[in-house]
Amino acid sequence: MNIRNFSIIAHIDHGKSTLADRLLQETRAVDERKHKDQLLDSMDLERERGITIKAAAVTVPWEFGGEHYQLNFIDTPGHVDFTYEVSRALTACEGAVLVVDAAQGIQAQTVANAYLAVENDLELIPVINKIDLPAADPVRVAMEIEQVLGLPAEDCIQVSAKTGEGIRELLDAICEKLPDPPAPTTDKLRALIFDSHYDDYRGVVVSTRVFDGKLSVGQKILMMGTGRPWTVTDLGKNTPFPVQVKELGTNEAGWMVASIKTLGDVRVGDTITLQSDPAPEALPGYEEPKQMVFCDFYPATSAGGGKKGDFETLREAMERLHINDASFTYEVQHSEALGFGFRCGFLGLLHMDIVQERIEREGGVEIVQTAPTVSYMIDLKDGSSVEIQNPADLPDPNHIEGIREPIVKLEMICPEDNIGDLMKLCDARRGIFKSQQYLSETRQILDFELPLAEIIYDFYDKLKSITRGYGTMDYEIIGYRQDNLSKVSIMVNGQPVEALSLICHRSNAEHRSRAILAKLRKQIDRHQFEIALQAAIGGKIIARETVKALRKNVTAKCYGGDITRKRKLLEKQKAGKQRMKTIGSVNIPQEAFMAVLEQE
Amino acid sequence: MGLTLRQFDGDPASPEPPPTLSSIIGTGAHRFDAAYLHVPFCFHKCHYCDFYSVVDADDQQESFIERLVGEVELQARHVSGPLDSVFMGGGTPTLLRPELLSRLLEAISTHLPLSDGCEWTVEANPETVTPEIAEVLAAGGVNRASIGCQSFSPRLLRALERRHDPASVPRAVESLRRAGIGSCSLDLIMGIPGSSMADWRSDLEQAIALEPDHLSCYGLQYEPNTPLAAKLARGRVEAVAQEVEAGMYEWTCERLRTAGWEQYEISNWARPGRCCRHNLVYWTGGSWLAMGPSAAGHLDGVRWRNVPRHASWQAGDGWPLLEDLERLDDSTRHGEQLMLELRLNRGIELDRLDCMVQGDGCEQRRVAIETGRRDGLLELESGRLRLTARGRLLADSLLCQLV
Ligand SMILES: Nc1nc2c(ncn2[C@@H]2O[C@H](COP(=O)(O)OP(=O)(O)OP(=O)(O)O)[C@@H](O)[C@H]2O)c(=O)[nH]1
Ligand code: SF4
Ligand SMILES: [Mg+2]
Repeated sequence: MNIRNFSIIAHIDHGKSTLADRLLQETRAVDERKHKDQLLDSMDLERERGITIKAAAVTVPWEFGGEHYQLNFIDTPGHVDFTYEVSRALTACEGAVLVVDAAQGIQAQTVANAYLAVENDLELIPVINKIDLPAADPVRVAMEIEQVLGLPAEDCIQVSAKTGEGIRELLDAICEKLPDPPAPTTDKLRALIFDSHYDDYRGVVVSTRVFDGKLSVGQKILMMGTGRPWTVTDLGKNTPFPVQVKELGTNEAGWMVASIKTLGDVRVGDTITLQSDPAPEALPGYEEPKQMVFCDFYPATSAGGGKKGDFETLREAMERLHINDASFTYEVQHSEALGFGFRCGFLGLLHMDIVQERIEREGGVEIVQTAPTVSYMIDLKDGSSVEIQNPADLPDPNHIEGIREPIVKLEMICPEDNIGDLMKLCDARRGIFKSQQYLSETRQILDFELPLAEIIYDFYDKLKSITRGYGTMDYEIIGYRQDNLSKVSIMVNGQPVEALSLICHRSNAEHRSRAILAKLRKQIDRHQFEIALQAAIGGKIIARETVKALRKNVTAKCYGGDITRKRKLLEKQKAGKQRMKTIGSVNIPQEAFMAVLEQE
Repeated sequence: MGLTLRQFDGDPASPEPPPTLSSIIGTGAHRFDAAYLHVPFCFHKCHYCDFYSVVDADDQQESFIERLVGEVELQARHVSGPLDSVFMGGGTPTLLRPELLSRLLEAISTHLPLSDGCEWTVEANPETVTPEIAEVLAAGGVNRASIGCQSFSPRLLRALERRHDPASVPRAVESLRRAGIGSCSLDLIMGIPGSSMADWRSDLEQAIALEPDHLSCYGLQYEPNTPLAAKLARGRVEAVAQEVEAGMYEWTCERLRTAGWEQYEISNWARPGRCCRHNLVYWTGGSWLAMGPSAAGHLDGVRWRNVPRHASWQAGDGWPLLEDLERLDDSTRHGEQLMLELRLNRGIELDRLDCMVQGDGCEQRRVAIETGRRDGLLELESGRLRLTARGRLLADSLLCQLV
């Protein structure tokens, strides 16, 4: 049997999932009746947002040159936050279909994903999609592909995932051009775990690609990385509906169930072998993605009296979602000002948004989400370093030698006209210019190195507005670098409010703290005395706001004889006061802190 | 699944019918100090007003008076002793057609037992006080008028969407005096959007010059669900700064004190002996009848409010339906007494105060009083606890700890 294992990769929205649907249809894998758009996007959220979050693998048959082929392919997400999903998928393949939108041409994630595929030694088939669009310009796009990626323009296959045009040619090309899977290097079982998800009925379902030997139901297997044994209870393939099989042979891909209870028991990238006859060496795995963006989640309803129940609802929702998405981290966070919540880590901003949305939707809780921050490496005078995600965890300044922050390599693709403004933006964001390259006559690729902290602070919005929507960007973390970073403390009447402190670059400190103080000022009611709101770096005040003293708080009238109404108004004032925290003899509602920290 | 039959258990969940006033005073006779009657007609809806009133309802006046007169008769049967005050408010009672007004006054004096020298006040919109209306009022027994003057500046009246000509105020006072109603109170509003200290001084001076025997100076309140509050929220008007309003208030206290006026409550001043007795009934725990839509009444710790809407008020068997009905427990009653009586300049005798703050669960009240004294909001003076001048400006900050 001929087997082709490949991934579909592209910039976001260039049509991967739609193309995957077409492949299913064209190979008759999907009965017309069952067909719904974007079949492989199974999460509600994926369908609604029209984006793919998790990679999904399917198996379909095709005939080419009178021979049968088994095509195993994986639809991948296009967004930069989920690049690790793409890398995982690629390790299970020998080839990749690189989809480029015929109107938009090459974009930032086109380049990033193409490079990923090349690094993994995959054969690339360039596909120009959406040729049915009036604005399609396949000839120009083919030129761009040749120019930037070095793939001959004439090799590009033109398709429309919408009309079905060119799909058969593409299927043929997949059989013809993609390499056969490599011959097994050992007769012992070696299967790569390239994904896993949790299913309420079956427990953990592992997606795996067999490289050597074969995987059968009933086998006692060993995961080489974790060293844990399991018994295979079920094997199958997605066609795209799950179909059970007795075994997965060499170079086949499918899913495995082995009574695994939690995702924590499985490491994606691990190698499966036989317990009784283990392979001497595991397959090359890959690094787990690292959380780079952090924020706090608080139960929004806790404002109504700090009820513990709301926090518990949130905790349950977090636990439940974590079973399905182990790529975010969370830990209990408590502060005097904000009460109980969670400090969470995400792969990126979109990942953060998606987790927040899923928690709210699937867990039925409303969340207040604080503005995102990054993690910092703190080098101590004794030569050691600690990593912190929360300014409140910063060690005593006397022990600190320096603070390092994550730096990214940023690649932007944008119209030539906007280069000047983008340069200015990057400059203002402490960027270091790396290179500039023509992509076509009107578009350029710009490379910068920039602190991640600057990227998560509305950078993408700025880029989009400067380029009127045409610019795209991709970034990857390249390491940590020291800069003039300091902790800014926020004080209310001289008393520091730890929950509001932040770490930022000295050059941004005034600007950022003034914004915080201004927000805070609006949230604090006037008291009988004047209240000083200050921002300080190591004892030096860098910004100040004042809440003036209350001069008048009296209801003029008693509403005729409606005494009840007057009393209820006062009772409301009283209840409001009781819910407040007292900091430096100032009453501040929890909502005030939330409002200051909340992401806009 | 088969048919689902609706099942009824023994306890049909039909909501309780709304209470009527009959359930409170409908049996026996009760001791009342005063009566309030609400006449909800207005010529135009002012933008700051959240009282229940309707405009363009001339055709409803007759049926309204019919019903109100019935209510007077009905409730009067349950009053045991003479009333010391009657207050007709609104709305604009003086907007009633003379013959209807006359009928209402007659019903009051015929059915309600009034004490000798009973204070009988009618709220009047200056524009509506014609010599004829003044005559009707006087002939019907009214001996006091409270005139909604608010400001003498056409610009500031416009800011409130209050439609009257400032010159109508002295005319109204004059007509009332001619008819024999010599006791007159003027209402003024302090802190109207766009007003300065100078505007306020001018308003107060003009009011003083008319020689009323009572003055109410209210700081403007942006009541929820009024057009003015909506404008404020949308930034269409700008509230007068706290500092400025506080200055206006302080100046007012000083100006009136030196002119021999007695301030007896946060917003009320009187010539010696001319405090409004009706107000004092409200503020010192007295009992009063409430007639007409949206009127609120009180009897020995039971508070109620008649339903507002005309139609709902007119429904039923002659007793008004109630919207709010509350039986106060001791602690709540004490809280109300503190809230109301501390607003009076004379404050509260320490003996009485003791029983309001001594019980269990009154810890917070005691602490608030101590803190209030420390912060200079409260003072002890000849055996009474009362607000200081600063305390009057910050009264709600204190009183909300005491309710
Ligand atoms: N006109 C036209 N529209 C297409 C074609 N292919 C896809 N689209 C549309 O392009 C949009 C994005 O398609 P998707 O298939 O969701 O793109 P994707 O690459 O999977 O997106 P992500 O998973 O979010 O990265 C959808 O609105 C599709 O209907 C095509 O050939 N022609
Ligand atoms: S006249 Fe008085 S009751 Fe009528 S709308 Fe104006 S303020 Fe309100
Ligand atoms: Mg997709």
